[in-house]
Order: sequence, then structure tokens, then C-alpha cells
Amino acid sequence: MPLLSISVFLPLLGGVLLMVLPNKSARIAHGVSIATTGLTFVVTLAIWARGTLPDGFAQIEEIAWIPAIGAAYRVGVDGLSLPLILLTSLLFFLSAIYAARITDRPAVFVALMLMLETASIGTFAALDALLFYVFFEVSLVGMYFMIVGWGYEERQRAGLMFFIYTLLGSLPLLLAIIGLFLATGSFDMRLWIETPPLTGLAAMLALIAMLFTFAVKIPSFPVHTWLPAAHVQAPTVGSVILAGVMLKFGTYGLVRFALQMTPDAFAQAGQVVLAFGVFSALYGAFVALAQSDLKKMIAYTSVNHMGYVVIGVAVAALTLDPDLRAVALNGATLQMVSHGIVTGALFFLVGMLQSRAHEREMTAFGGLLGQVPWLGWAFVLSAFASLGLPGLAHFPAEFQIFLATLNAQPWAIVAIIAIVVTAGLYLRAIAAVFLGEPNEKWAAMPDLDRGEMQAVVPLLILIILIGVAPSWLLGMIDATMRALQF
Amino acid sequence: MARDLSFLFPELMLASTVVLMLVAEMLRAPRLALAFGLIGLGLSTALTLPLLEADTTVFGGTYRVDLLSGWAKLILLPGTALALLMTWAEIAGKDREGSVYTLLCLVTLGAVMLAGGGDMMLLVLGVVLTGLGSFAMVAWPRDDAATETAMKYLVFGAVTGSVMIYGLTFWFGGAGSTLFSELGALQDKPLIALAGLVAVLIGLGYKAALVPFQFWAPDAYDGAPVSVAAFLSVITKVAAIFAFAQVLRDLPVATGWPFVVALIAAVTMTFGYLAALVQTNVVRLLAYSSVAQAGYFMLGIVALGTSPLALPSVIVFGAAYVAMNLGAFAVIVIAGRNLDDFKGFGRARPLIGVAMVVFLLSLTGIPPLFGFVGKVLLFGAAIEAGYLWLAVIGILNSVLALAVYLRIVVPMYQARDGEAVRAEVALPLLVVLGATALVTALMGLFAGVFPG
Repeated sequence: MPLLSISVFLPLLGGVLLMVLPNKSARIAHGVSIATTGLTFVVTLAIWARGTLPDGFAQIEEIAWIPAIGAAYRVGVDGLSLPLILLTSLLFFLSAIYAARITDRPAVFVALMLMLETASIGTFAALDALLFYVFFEVSLVGMYFMIVGWGYEERQRAGLMFFIYTLLGSLPLLLAIIGLFLATGSFDMRLWIETPPLTGLAAMLALIAMLFTFAVKIPSFPVHTWLPAAHVQAPTVGSVILAGVMLKFGTYGLVRFALQMTPDAFAQAGQVVLAFGVFSALYGAFVALAQSDLKKMIAYTSVNHMGYVVIGVAVAALTLDPDLRAVALNGATLQMVSHGIVTGALFFLVGMLQSRAHEREMTAFGGLLGQVPWLGWAFVLSAFASLGLPGLAHFPAEFQIFLATLNAQPWAIVAIIAIVVTAGLYLRAIAAVFLGEPNEKWAAMPDLDRGEMQAVVPLLILIILIGVAPSWLLGMIDATMRALQF
Repeated sequence: MARDLSFLFPELMLASTVVLMLVAEMLRAPRLALAFGLIGLGLSTALTLPLLEADTTVFGGTYRVDLLSGWAKLILLPGTALALLMTWAEIAGKDREGSVYTLLCLVTLGAVMLAGGGDMMLLVLGVVLTGLGSFAMVAWPRDDAATETAMKYLVFGAVTGSVMIYGLTFWFGGAGSTLFSELGALQDKPLIALAGLVAVLIGLGYKAALVPFQFWAPDAYDGAPVSVAAFLSVITKVAAIFAFAQVLRDLPVATGWPFVVALIAAVTMTFGYLAALVQTNVVRLLAYSSVAQAGYFMLGIVALGTSPLALPSVIVFGAAYVAMNLGAFAVIVIAGRNLDDFKGFGRARPLIGVAMVVFLLSLTGIPPLFGFVGKVLLFGAAIEAGYLWLAVIGILNSVLALAVYLRIVVPMYQARDGEAVRAEVALPLLVVLGATALVTALMGLFAGVFPG
């Protein structure tokens, strides 16, 4: 059974099914949505059960597309893409559960969300560069319409900024892909990874183009400015998908394309990339500290966390010791998954708070922990995870990244200051919102209902599970990273 | 002679169709003319299929029956049939409607000749044939605006046509023959080659609406019925592009023509989108957008003779452009010419709204739509020919394109001020929309059927 293709196209099929159904009531739409995303999640679990190969890609499926230029539908997984596919299908499933409360044009919303899931899983699974680019861009269109259609006050501006920014960002990638294609006559990514086709100046130009694209997506300083606007204005589900899944396109591409297809150029430019990573991590943390809007604050911590991933990848490119490389890349990959889960949970929780209070300013709240204990403790747990507390999801990832950094590029360890800053800003946020004097205004605020629990609790369990025993995930990642050719 | 004629069945079919349509129009039977036209175009397309593999010339090398002219017919003839349906939906019942149908098919005959021309005389014939019919169609509404723009169009066309003929004499003098296949003789006569090139750029550039010969396009499109504007922006433009391909692939690259064309391509893309950014009339907006699209076509033309991707890229993007631009104009027929008419359109008519979004995103070049595949091939051809800078300009312009097209998409999903009026949409328009939307959305996935 072509499980991988099923997981890619099942959501799209669900969306099309919904569009042709005569009855498009909210009940039906969300029923289709939860069933489709749930089934997709099960299929990805089956893909996981089939496993990956220690070297190269597994579960490859291939159909001719445009034979004249060597483009084909090719998908497959390895220890880098499979964890991200699992993360994607889980987050979409939970988003579908949470989105069941949307009543404004529910069918269209669900169809967009399902299209986004197809694009997201497709991006991680694609082994053909043209196919990758197709999924990469389709996700952009879906997210644009989600922000513009269901976002908050300033959604038009934020959506436009997001679309133009990321489209401009992704077009250099197309140039790099065309360059790699002209050097080989094929769009097969496996071919490009096996023997990197470009050398010298051409490789450096391709790398610069790719770095630009992925830096916008990650987002890394100085091309991160679209992120806070898009996050703040996007609907809750949009924020969760944007932060949890779509930012990973950037870091995934950084490893899959930049590191694997132009390895020599990456090694040469490694110090520069590392410097951008370090600066992003510090910058994201300090700017987050300055925010009073909860959603914006979490958005900026994404810049900080993704900065660590960039550091990990750059350290791996700069060192020759295979063990150290594996440690750095393991950390970077695990950090992608952890960030998806932790930040997904945080955006869910802030969205739930906002839907109750129509307010995101920290100072407007106070003492909510007694009022809404489930929401409160869930936020506290996720926030502690986000600041890197041992025993929670970010710790094993960040620990490995810093371990490798300290061994290979000691100067970059200054990024660790950012952890102190994030600790400060989360403690401040918790104190302002959940501790202190209860604000009379919110005395009637209800705690999480069943649907909200269902969306958040699985993420909380995973936060602890990855924090305490990450080996079930790291085993698969490590096998691939040790064999990674670059 | 018999052999030569056997390769011309599609053209002969189309020519006799036009005659029959003319007779029907003289009998005041516009429906009959329309029926003749649709059937004739269909038969003509079918007759093209067996000739697709042919690669030969007829009548002493003056007319080419090759990959390009074969695909040109496969693209232009069905495109004209769709334009006929659109025109029918828009002007049915009006006075002299049959003339427009007849002229559409006549212009298409000229377009097909342009795409197959292998000789300077045939090039001139094609330009004149497409020109004369187009002037008359633009003037058809017989009001002041239409007459004025038709005059402008005619004068501009006459001047550029004459300049082209004048310039072609240089090539004739230099090469000693009117056949394009003899242009290789200009290898070491760069000045003569340049003089003729400038002339061709003026004559065909006017037809394709390349900058700086684009002035007529927005006025003419706006003055004519929307469906005629759609036809002009699609059929005559693509024919002119194909004619460029027929002419320039025989001109030695050493004369430096690709660089001149590359400059024009860069200016055309950028100017087209910049001008489109400030339009409030959607027909004019699409007019400027189609100026820019002509610039993209030139990316493939630049690579002729140096990249094997050049011809396929022009053919694939030609097919994509015909589908998506016709579709976008068909939506304008339904929605109206003003940007304000599009406010809330997507909410009032969800399906047609989605189709419009598909057309516009395809025009931008968003994957996996058909326009994207065409653009990738065009970029690939240009880069392979060593014009990386041109591809970069093309890519930067894609962002400008997005801003242009989102100016239509964004209001479509805003709430409408007044009560939405929902008139019935004519069946022929639905057919056009369905066909173009399907091709635009799905052909990208089946691009393997195209030559490469």
C-alpha cells in the first residue's frame, strides 16, 4: 500500500469530498475534518511502524510526471522527514478538533485546512525538487486565505505582508532548483544529495539563494518581520499550523537542501550562518521580553527557538567529527519537533484565553490560576517547556545543540544567554496573567471545555514524554543523522 | 502541389469555414455563422492531430509544418472556439453580431499563418491579416470610444507594419532571399541583421504588445467588447510570439540579437506590472498584465538556438496563457469591468470566485497550476542560455505580479456593501469557464503530454 501517498492526498480528498457534499453545515464540515485528519494521523503512525532505513530514504513511491525534464512524483521518508510528518499530522488532527467551534463559513475553512495539510506533509515527503516547490508554495496560498478570511482586525495587511514576503522569499529557491536541474538534467533530490552537482561559485550562489528562502521561512533575523504580524492576526488554528508546521519548512530545507546539496559551500559559509543563528536566538529572546501582547511574545520566542536550530545545523556543517555532527543535527531535528509541540500548545492556550477575554495584553489579566486552573497549569507547563526546563521537551534538544556548540564553536555558546532571558519573560508572563490579585473582570471566565482539553492534553503528555524519555524519537533521528552525507 | 496541400488541411478547412461564415452573415443568420465557426474550428483542430509529428516545409520552404506550427494550431484553434462562445454570450442579439464571429475566425487564420510562416512575405501577410480583422472588431460597438481606439489601433498598426516591411528589405538584401532559413547568411553582417531585427521587433512587438509598442493595448481592450479584448490579448499575442520564434530561431546568435530581446523582455515585464498596479479598471489591469506576460514569453525566445528548452517552454506557456487569460476575461464578462464590481464577488458566487482565484494565481505562477509549469520552463531556458539576470528579473516581477493580482482577489472576499445582484450566467460562458479552469488547474499535473 502506498501509505505515504495516501497520507499526502487523503486530506485533499476529504476537502474535495466536502466541497461536493450538498449539505455543508458546520456539523458535517467539522465531522469530515476530524475524521480525515484523524485517519491521516493513523496512516502516518503506520508509516512510522514501517520504519526508516539507516541510510538513505525508505518507503519510496514514484510516478512519472514530466519525463521530458526529469520531473516525477517522488516521495519517501528518512529520520529527518518522518518525525516532522508525524508532528504535522498530529497538529492538524488537534487543530481540527479545536476548530470545530468555528461557525463562519466552516466548509471553506475546513477545505483550506485540509489543503494545507496535504501541502505540509507533501513538503516533508517530496523527493523531487519541483514537487517540493509545488507543495511549499501551495501551503503559502492556503495560509494566506486562512489569515485573510478568519483572522483578526488587521488581517488584510498581515496576510498581504505574509504572502508577498514569503513568495519573494521562496522564488530564489526556484532559481537554485533550476540551477541544480541544469547541472544534472533531473529534479531527483536523491541524485543531488548523493553527488552534489554544483561546485565553486555556482554552489555558493545556489546556497545563498536557498539560505535566503529558508531564512524567511524559519524566520531568521533580519527577515523575520512578517512573523509577528502574521501570527497576531491569524486565527488560533492558523497560528498553531504556522508555528508548529510551516516554520519547520525552513529548518527542514536548511538541512535537506542547503546542507545536503551544497555541503562544501555551506562549510565555507558556516561561520556566517552560525552568526545569524546566534543573533536570531538572542534577538528573538530580547524582543520577546519587550512584548506585552501574549501572542506576539510567543511569536518572537519562535525566532529564538528556531535560531537554536540554525546554530545546530551550522555547527554540524563546521565540524568534521562525525559524532559531534550527529549530536548537533540530532539536537536540531529534535528541536524542530519540540518547538512544534510546545509552541503549538502555547498558541492553542493563548487562543483559548483570547476567545474568552477578547484580549491579549498581559496586564489586563491577573490571578487567573484560581479561576481557570486547567488553562493556567497547562500554560505554566508549556511555558516551562518553552524556556528549556529539564524534563520537558526542549531540554534534550537544546542540550545537544549547546553540547555540540561548546565542543566545536565555543564562541557561539553566548546564545545560552537567551535561555536566561526566555526564562525571565515566561516567568513574568505567568506572574502577570495567572498569579497575583485576581481581576474582577474575569470572574466568570469558564475553564477548558472538553474539545479544548482534547486539543491540548495530548500535547502536554508529549511535552513530558519527550522531555523524560526522548530516545523513542531520537533513535530514528540518530540513525539517519549518522549516515547523512554531506 | 498535392503533397503540399495535404499538409495544409487545417488551414484550408479554416479558410473555407470563414467563407461559409461570411455567406451566413450575408444571409443575416448569425447563429448559423456561429455554428459554422465552431464546427470548422473543431474539424480544423482534429485535422491538425495527424500532422503533429510532421517536420517539413511546403511551397518552397515558405510555410512550415513543424512542431511549433502544429502546437500553435492545437492551442489557437480551441482557444478561438472558446472566444467565440464568450463573444456569443456577450453580444448575442445585437446588430451585426455575425460579423464579429466571422472576423474572429479570419484573424485566427492570420494567426495560424504567423505561427507557421517561414518566409518574410508570409510574415507580412500574417501581420496584415490579423491586423485588418482586429481593427474592425475593436470598432464593432460603433460608439465614440470604440471608434477612437480603433483609429488609434489602425494608425499604430499601419505605421509599425510599414516599418517592419521596410526593415525586412534589409534582411532580403543581406541574405539574398526572403526565406528565414537563409538568414544564416547574415552571420557576419551584424548591422544588417540588427536593422531587420529592429523592424521585426517593431512589427511583431506591436502585435504582442511588447514595451515600447504597448500603448494601443489598454485602450483597444477597453474600447472593444470584453470577449474581443480577451481574444486580442490571447490569440494574436500568442501568434506573434510564435512568429518571433519562427523568425529568430534562424537568425545567427552571433549577431547579438538575444541580448536586445532580453532587454526588451526585462523592460516589458517590469513596466507591464508597474502600470497594472495603479489601474482601477479590471480590463485595463489585465491588459497591462498581458503586456507583462508577453515579457515572460520573451524569456523563451531569448534562449532560441542555445537551449533545447526554449521551444517547449514557449509552447507550454502559450497553452497555459491562453487558458488562464481567457478564463480571467470570462469572469470579467460576468462580474463587470470595474474593480468595485469585484467586491464580494467571491462570496456571492463561490465557484466562479474559486475559478478566478485559480486563473489569477496561475498568471502569477503559483504551483501546481499550469502557468507555473510554463514559467519554470521559461526560467530554465533563459538560465541555460546564460541569461540568469533575466530570470532573476522575471522572478522579482512574479512578486509584483502577486501584488497586482491580489488587488482583484482581496476585494472578492470582502463583504459587499449593497445587496448582491445574481443574474443568471449564460451556458456558453459556463462552458468557457469550466474548460479554462480545468485546463489551468490540472494541465500542470499532466504537462508530460507536451513536447520537450
